[in-house]
This record gives sequence, structure tokens and C-alpha cells, in this order.
Amino acid sequence: MSTSFLIVQSGLAERLRKSRWPARLDLLQSGTGLLLAIFMWGHMFFVASILLGETAMWSITRMFEGYFFLGDAHPRLVSGAAAGVLLLFVLHALLALRKFPASYRQYHILRAHIKAMRHEDSRLWIWQVYTGFALFFLASAHFYQMLAWPQNIGPYASADRVWSDGLWPFYLLMLLAVEVHGGIGLYRLAVKWNWPGLSRNFLKRLKWGLTGFFLVLGLMTLGTYMKIGFEHQARYGERYRPAELPAWLERLAPEGDFPRRDPKEDAP
Amino acid sequence: MSAETFHRHITLNILRYNPQDADAEPRLQSYALEEADGMTLFIALNELREHQDPTLQFDFVCRAGICGSCAMMVNGRPRLACRTLVAELPAESTLTPLPFFELIGDLSVNTGKWMRGMSERLETWLHARETEPDLQRIEERMAPEIAEAIYELDRCVECGCCVAACGTAQMRPDFAGAVGFGKIARFRADPRDTRDDDDYFELIGDDTGVFGCMSLLACHDVCPKSLPLKTQIAFLRRKMALIA
Amino acid sequence: MKTRITDLLVIGGGLAGLRVAIGAAKRGHEVLTLSLVPPKRSHSAAAQGGMQASLANVAKGAGDTEDIHFEDTVRGSDWGADQVVARMFVNTAPKAVRELAAWGTPWSRVKSGEREVVINNEKVTLTEREAAQGLIAQRDFGGTKKWRTCYVSDGTGHAMLYTVSDQAIARGVAVEERCEALSLIHDGERCYGAVARNLVTGELFACLARATVIATGGAGRLYRVTTNAVICEGMGHALALETGVAALGNMEAVQFHPTGIFPAGILVTEGCRGDGGLLRDAEGHRFMPDYEPEKKELASRDVVSRRMEEHIRRGLGVDSRFGAHLWLDITLLGRRHIEHNLREVKEICAYFLGIDPAEKWIPVRPAQHYTMGGVRTRHTGESPHLKGLFAAGESACWDLHGFNRLGGNSVAETVVAGMIVGESVADFCDAPENDLAAPVALARECVRREEEKLLALLHSKGEENAFKLCAEMQEIMTRCVGIFRTADGLQDGVSHLQRLLQRSRHIGIQSKAWGSNPELVAAYRVRRMLKLAITIAYGAYQRTESRGAHFREDFPVRNDRDWLKRTLAFWCREAEEEATLPHLEYEAQDVNTMELPPGWRGYGAKNHIEHPDTAERQFAVERIRNHVQLAGSDRFALQQELMPYLEKLPARLRGRNERLDEPL
Repeated sequence: MSTSFLIVQSGLAERLRKSRWPARLDLLQSGTGLLLAIFMWGHMFFVASILLGETAMWSITRMFEGYFFLGDAHPRLVSGAAAGVLLLFVLHALLALRKFPASYRQYHILRAHIKAMRHEDSRLWIWQVYTGFALFFLASAHFYQMLAWPQNIGPYASADRVWSDGLWPFYLLMLLAVEVHGGIGLYRLAVKWNWPGLSRNFLKRLKWGLTGFFLVLGLMTLGTYMKIGFEHQARYGERYRPAELPAWLERLAPEGDFPRRDPKEDAP
Repeated sequence: MSAETFHRHITLNILRYNPQDADAEPRLQSYALEEADGMTLFIALNELREHQDPTLQFDFVCRAGICGSCAMMVNGRPRLACRTLVAELPAESTLTPLPFFELIGDLSVNTGKWMRGMSERLETWLHARETEPDLQRIEERMAPEIAEAIYELDRCVECGCCVAACGTAQMRPDFAGAVGFGKIARFRADPRDTRDDDDYFELIGDDTGVFGCMSLLACHDVCPKSLPLKTQIAFLRRKMALIA
Repeated sequence: MKTRITDLLVIGGGLAGLRVAIGAAKRGHEVLTLSLVPPKRSHSAAAQGGMQASLANVAKGAGDTEDIHFEDTVRGSDWGADQVVARMFVNTAPKAVRELAAWGTPWSRVKSGEREVVINNEKVTLTEREAAQGLIAQRDFGGTKKWRTCYVSDGTGHAMLYTVSDQAIARGVAVEERCEALSLIHDGERCYGAVARNLVTGELFACLARATVIATGGAGRLYRVTTNAVICEGMGHALALETGVAALGNMEAVQFHPTGIFPAGILVTEGCRGDGGLLRDAEGHRFMPDYEPEKKELASRDVVSRRMEEHIRRGLGVDSRFGAHLWLDITLLGRRHIEHNLREVKEICAYFLGIDPAEKWIPVRPAQHYTMGGVRTRHTGESPHLKGLFAAGESACWDLHGFNRLGGNSVAETVVAGMIVGESVADFCDAPENDLAAPVALARECVRREEEKLLALLHSKGEENAFKLCAEMQEIMTRCVGIFRTADGLQDGVSHLQRLLQRSRHIGIQSKAWGSNPELVAAYRVRRMLKLAITIAYGAYQRTESRGAHFREDFPVRNDRDWLKRTLAFWCREAEEEATLPHLEYEAQDVNTMELPPGWRGYGAKNHIEHPDTAERQFAVERIRNHVQLAGSDRFALQQELMPYLEKLPARLRGRNERLDEPL
């Protein structure tokens, strides 16, 4: 057993050179948060492509499956990416746990404190705790879906999941949680490490602006999927096939493969 | 000052509790008094003690916002009571002691004891090269801008508002608090101090130190001296993270 | 009964007390400090303006030396100061500033090149020399010939107190916070320590020490309108007075600061006027040049305060529902200067008056500010009457300030006295003949007596209210023992105060708590405050002349012939509880040993009555001066000839002070 372990066990940890891990963990928490937030914005835009029409969303989905580069669609690529994000997510959650109230007593004191203080940034933080806690479950379920059935992404497939499978309340909750959590988190990152030249007031306005923007975008997107799902419920399970692609995209697509084959139909 | 003689009747709800009395229960007690021109909470509380309730405990020293003795929660937020004008408060207000610190009684808390402990723990004194300088010689030079920058951080009055407002401190009694970070930043800015970032890391490089801070910034927002706590803590965090 | 035994007991945790404690600790003695509040909350923190030391770094301070600082101090004191002490002080002040610089005080520094300042209502461009870049800067203050006041923006006292307090923490100096000394343990010959009370738990304990230092600051709370903190109730003065053995010196010398915010009495710094601020009356007229054409707003504090009150009496004050006041105008300094160098002033105006001093004038009126009188000590800080008792800082009268203290000399005094008394106290503790066979029985007796007094108070059937008595006392002091004093007013004041003291023996207390009990504290303190108030009023009544801050309308002239002497007040030891007047003695000053014989101060009235020895001494001084000059000797030799003092300083403080223009 190493000397340092014995020194720590003897209650003399204070005499050792301080561990660098708390610093690294704090950096890691911020880093994973930043990456997740950037991912969430991208994800939101990709999902919102449905607002531009079913073909746009179909094309983006195919793109991520490598259809335009690899000559065929590989939904496993999506689950691969999801696995990567999941890793970030787990890491972030684990690190964030350090900051959560660890007992009812702590929670009780904190809540009373924040209620009495009427201080916006403190109040925002407790919302970050609530939404973060909700995301443990919501995001985990979503990750499982994406890992297990990556092929079920598409204008109709997603819409059916939202409407006919009755998952729209789930997505609504997750949308709210993610946007609130991410917006506050990014704002906090900026003040925590001090983004030079930007006032806190500006950052806060930016934060609310971004949260508002993505919430509106998300709600419109969810609404669109619900509408498509509602109209499509009679043909539940059918996959979308674009009638035609824009010429520039057509050039990228694998040759002689039109009308598009839906890989999900081949799935076991 | 207007010559109007109309004055509000205000109510102060004050948290009463004497930890020395084993039978005592914390309770809110209401006091009514008539507002006067220029009345601060210093004047109001003394009037209550002198005319209504001689047992009321609170602390004032300079009564001019300089010494940091009189911090208390005014309607839930920490403030220096001596420079809180009653006119700024609603007709009914609540005064409670600063949380986090040891309660002496009613509105009186033992900030001094905690601050001394913090100072000892974070070694908030100048670690000079020479302990016995030659006092006959002309002093060491210092750029005027640096002296000013140090004074900016040296203005802390150790009132405890930042710690009382801090969400992290409420959960972690061993947290160093913004006051501690402000002091480290002050000595770090001082070219006369011989310590380097490795030394400071030993003092604040963990979760009771700068990495425990969750950047809720209540410290910054309530600081009666408007110290730049937000940027200073972020600055220290970056410097300490660079060490790792 | 708990007994704590230590080498040195320091009562008071402000600048003076802590600096003494550090000095003794450095010499290897154990120190116990008692402080009413956490040391960093002490009133030392409130000194905004600065600390005088003749560093001569800035252009307007060029040529400054200890000699000029000495003369300013003695003139300021209206020849009440002990000139040997003043010499010790001015020689140590630069060392104190430099020591603090080495300990971390962020003194404002000289920036070389041109800068614009306001002097006498005009914008002037000063050029600071290249060689001074980065050295400690000085600003102008009242009653000084040179710019000599070193400063840390407008938080000098705060920065100094934090530096010294942090050093005390670094050196492990023990401080018992929220503990009050109730009485000194002594046998009439020797002081052995004090009986202390923990203000939180009420516990009484005995502190036995070889030496005891009183460093409790001033007694401003004897007055209704004062710039002093609420803890400045003169309890250290009272500790000494109540021994019946130790004397208080010059208690009638009470300074009023010209610019207390009206009506609250909160101080705005002399730096406002030092930096170019003006005093104006109801018509907006700048009146000080009418009275004091030479120094104008920057005459000494006693003079400016008196001129202000005089102006108000002429009906030229601004009327308000709280009475008349005058204006302090700093708008001409510009917003940048105010927000940068006078920020504390800006904050105070914003929070307490709701005005912006960059745009509006500040309502001011003189307010009690400083207690020149104190525990009479020798130049070592030791009481000549009670062995083992020392005092330092505002609570002492060693006597640096005489009848008027110069602005910037008080925080300077705290650290300088701390350095000097710290050494002499350590010497005292080192000397085997001062060893102590712990007088435990005496301590027990003293604690028992205090306990009985407290119990009697708690269970008294009396109907007097301590807070009311205190308010009445403050009213009388403000009315009868203020800036302008007369025989009638003072007599009236004394008899009123005596009645109050008698009534204070029948105080009743509602709360019977033994521990934290603000009413009980007010009750035992008001009795002591009344004794001090009487001492001040009675001394003022007896002193039938005007000197410095003590101004008698019926005797408006300084009378060196009859009054070039220090008042010593003793409380009756035998009938301590029955007495209502102190016994006064006078200690004559020796004109024949003065370096600077009495004369005109350079401001204020020019009409004093000469001391019979003055002319002869002046002649002697002239002769020595010529003699030394002929011999081609330097100013140090001249000084040594005029009034030797160096051997009175601790050895390590005797050296000369290096300056840019005066290398070692």
C-alpha cells in the first residue's frame, strides 16, 4: 500500500499536497456541459428540419446514416453517435451530482434560503437541479430508444412515435427540461469562467433569448410531428419516401436507387 | 428634505431567539413604530430597544457602513442595517439574523469568530520576503495602478453578507466563501506577497474552495461594498484550473 | 472563578492595542487581547483621510522633515503637547508607514508627471518628479505646512487596521472577542490585570498579567452628536479613573470635527477639504477666507469648527427642521475624483442623505470627534501613578495632541504609540523586578466585587432607566460642554451631571438575564460614562482660559501665564461610589525645556497671554540656533541641542529617516 494512502488513513490528508482532481472534475463538468449544450442546439435544428418539409427531414436523417457518403444508409452510425453523447451525459450527470443537496436537511435549508432571498441566479440554479434531475430519467429513456432502434427516425416514423405511440407528453417534458437546463447552464458557464467583455446583464438577456427561441422552435417542431402523426395514424408503420430530391442532393445520392429504399423496411 | 410631517407607521417583524436559554423557541415578534426623516434601521432598532424592548439583541459599531458589524437579513436578503433607510422598506418588514454564522441572540451573530477562522485557514496576510524590513530606508516602490487595484479588493469589511447569501455555503459549512476568495485574490494581486499559484491551490484548490463555488453570484449581488466578486472568483478559478 | 494568566493584557483590539500586542508578541511574550467587538470592527477602521508622516515624496511635500511635522503638531496642540513625545512621534511616523507598507497596506502611490488638482478653489497643475514614481503619496490636510498625509484612497484606517489585524492573526495573538474589562485588579501600587466579562455568556473571569495596556479609543458617545462609533464610550478611561489611583489628563480637551453630516453626525473626511472642497453658508458664500485668510478651510479643526459655529450664530447657517447647518461643497473636484478618491464619502452621501456629492452640496455641522484627554502616561506609555498600567492611542494622554489634534495624527499615533509602547511594555515584562506572584486572592476579591455589583443592578428595585439617563447626559454634554463654553453653562452642566450620577445609582432593569443583556450593559456603562462626563465638564469649568479645542467665551484668550499646564483628574478612591466630583491637580509644563516656545499658531486668534519664561526661552533657542548654524552643524545637531529626546525612543526606532532629498 502506498505511503500516501497510509497518511490519509491516519487522518493527515491535510498535510499532503492537495489533489488536482477537484480542479479537473470542475473543468470536466463545465466541458461536458458545454459539449452537451452545443449538441442539443444542433440536435434541435436537425429535428426542426421537419418545419421545412418532410423531404428536408428525411434528407438530414439519411445524411447522418451516411447515405450520401457511404452508398447506403447505416442507422448504426446514429446509435454510435448516441452512445458517444450518452457517455458525455453520464459523465456530466455524475459530476453534477456533487453539487446536489445531499440530504433532506440540506435541501430544506437551500429551498428556504432561495425562497427568502428572491435572488434570480440562485432561483435559476434550483431549476437547474430540478430539470437536471428530470433529465436523468427522460434523457435516459430517449437514449435507450436511439440506441435500440436507430432506424426509427424519419418524418413518418418519428411522427408515429410522437402521436400514435403516445409519446408526445414525454417529448414535451423533455423539451422543457432540456432547454431550461441548457440555457441556464450555458449562462452559468459564461459567468463561472468569466466570458470577457460581456456583461452579466447581456448574458442573461442572451440566455433568455436563446431559451425562448429554442422553446418556440421545439414546440413548433413537436406540433408539426403531432400533426403529421395524427394525419398518418391510419398508415402507422409506413415510411416516408420523397417523391424527388433537389438536383444537388440527387447528385450525392447512390446511383439508381430511386425511389428511395427505406432501410427500415428491411429491418428484422 | 421635505417639510412634510406625515410619517408612516411601520411594523418590524423580528426573529427572536436566545440560544442560551434552553427553553426558548424561535419566534417572530412584531414591533410598531413611527418612521422619522432619515431613519435608518440603526435608529429604528435602537428606538425599539430604548423604548419598547430592552432585551432586543443586535450589533452596531460604526453606524456609517464602514465596519461591517450590522449585517442582517432584511426581508430575506443580507444587508448592512445601519445604512438601510426605513423609507426604502415596505410598511411591514422582516428582520432575521444572518444564517450560516453562530447565533448569539436575536439579530446578533458571531461573524468575527468565523472570519478569524477563515483568515487562519486561508492565511490571509501578506507573506513578505522580509519579515524585518529596514524601517529607515525608503519604502519599496509599487506602481500606483497596482496599489489602487489592491485597494479595490482590500475594501472588504468582512460583514458576512456574501456568505449569508451563498447557496453553496448553506449546504457546506466548510465552504471558504466569497470573502475568502476575495482575500486570496487581494494577496495574489499584491507583488509584495511571495506566494505563487501552487501555494494558493493548497488553500483554495478543492470543493471547500473555489471549485465548490456554483457561481450563483448572490455574493456579488449583495456585497455592500460592490466588490468585483464575480470576476475575481472566475479569475481564481481559471488560475487554479490551469494548475491541474 | 476562571483565572487566566498571561504576560501582557491588552484591553482594546483597535490599531493601537493590536500594534502593542504584536510588538510584545515579537519579543516573545504571551499576549491576551480583550475586545468589545471583532478587532476589524474597531473604530480605527473609520479613519478615512490618512496618516501623517514626513516622507516628502510628493511635489507639495518637498522639503518636509520631522522638524516641520513637529512644529505643526505642537502649534496644532496650542502648546498643550509634550514636546518630547511629539519629537518621538514625528521620528517614528515614517517608520510606521514603511512598516505597514512592508506588512501589506496598499498605500496610494505617486504617479510621476503632471496632474491637475484643486487648490484654493482653482485648478492647478502639479508636476510629480520621476524619482518619486511609485513611492507613497501624500495629500493635504488641515493645520499642516506641507502635504504630509499618507493615505489609502479614502479608506486609510480600514486598510491599516486590516493589515495590522492580519499580522496579529499571522502571529497568533490571542483575542477574546466580545469581552469587556469591568475593572482593573490593583492594590493601589501595582496593576495586576483586569476583571473581564464575556458579553455573550455573562461569565466573569480574572486576567492576571505583568502589564496591562488600555487601548480602548475615545469617549465620543458622551455627546449626542459624534462621529464616533457606538462602542466609543470611554470605558478604558473609566477603568483607569475608577482605580482612584491612576489619573486622566486633559479630559476637557475634546475635538469637534468640522464636517459631520447633518444631523446624523457621520464623518465626512477632512480629505474633502484637503483635496479642495469648500465650506459655504446659506447664501452659497465661501466664508472661511473671511475669518482665516491664510489657511482658510484648512486651518486646524478647532479653529474651523469654531468659525463655523460662529457663522451659524450670526444667522448665516441654513435652516432646517433639525436646526442650522452649513454646506460642504466638493462638486468642484469633479465626478472622477469623487468616485475614485472619495468613494466612501460618495457612499455615505448616497446612503444617509440620498444625494450625489458630485452634484449637490453636503449639509454639515461640527460634531464631537476626538478625545485628546486620556489615561495620563509617561513617554513609555506607563502610568506614573499605577505601576504596570500602560495606555496607548486615543485612550492615552502621553501627551501628543495637547488641546487639539491635527487631522492625520490620530491613526499615525495609534501605530507609532503601538511601536513605542509595545517595546517599553516588553522591556517591562522582561525585567525580573517586575515579576509577579499571581495575586489570586486579590483577583478573587475583585471578581466577587464585580459580581456583587452586577447582581445588585439586576435585582435593583430602582426606577431609573439607563437609556434615558444616557440620553440626558449626551444632551447636557452637547449643550454645556461643546464648542463654546461659559462658566454658567459649565456649572449648570456639572451640577446636572452630578444629579444624573446620583440617579444612576437607582437604575432598574427589566431583563434579568445574566448572559447577553444589552440593558444591563447600558446600566453599568452609563454610571462610568457619567463619571467621565463630570470629569470633562468640571475640568472645563476650572480651566479659565481658551486653548485649542477648549474655548471659554468668558476667557477667550490662551493664558500661558496661568494655564500652561496639564489637568490631572483623580476619582476619590475611598468613597468611589459616593463621590460625584473628581479631584483635580495640575502638572506644569516647563517652558525652559521646550524646543518650540509658546507663540502664535499661525492661524486663529493672535492674542495669548505670555508665560513669564517664554521670552527667556525664546532668546535661548535663538542663541542655540545661531550657535549651531555658525558651527555649520545640521538640523539633527540643532535639534539635539535644543531638546534631546532620542535616548527616550526604543533603540530600534532611533534611526534617521531616509528621503529622496535626504539620503541616510
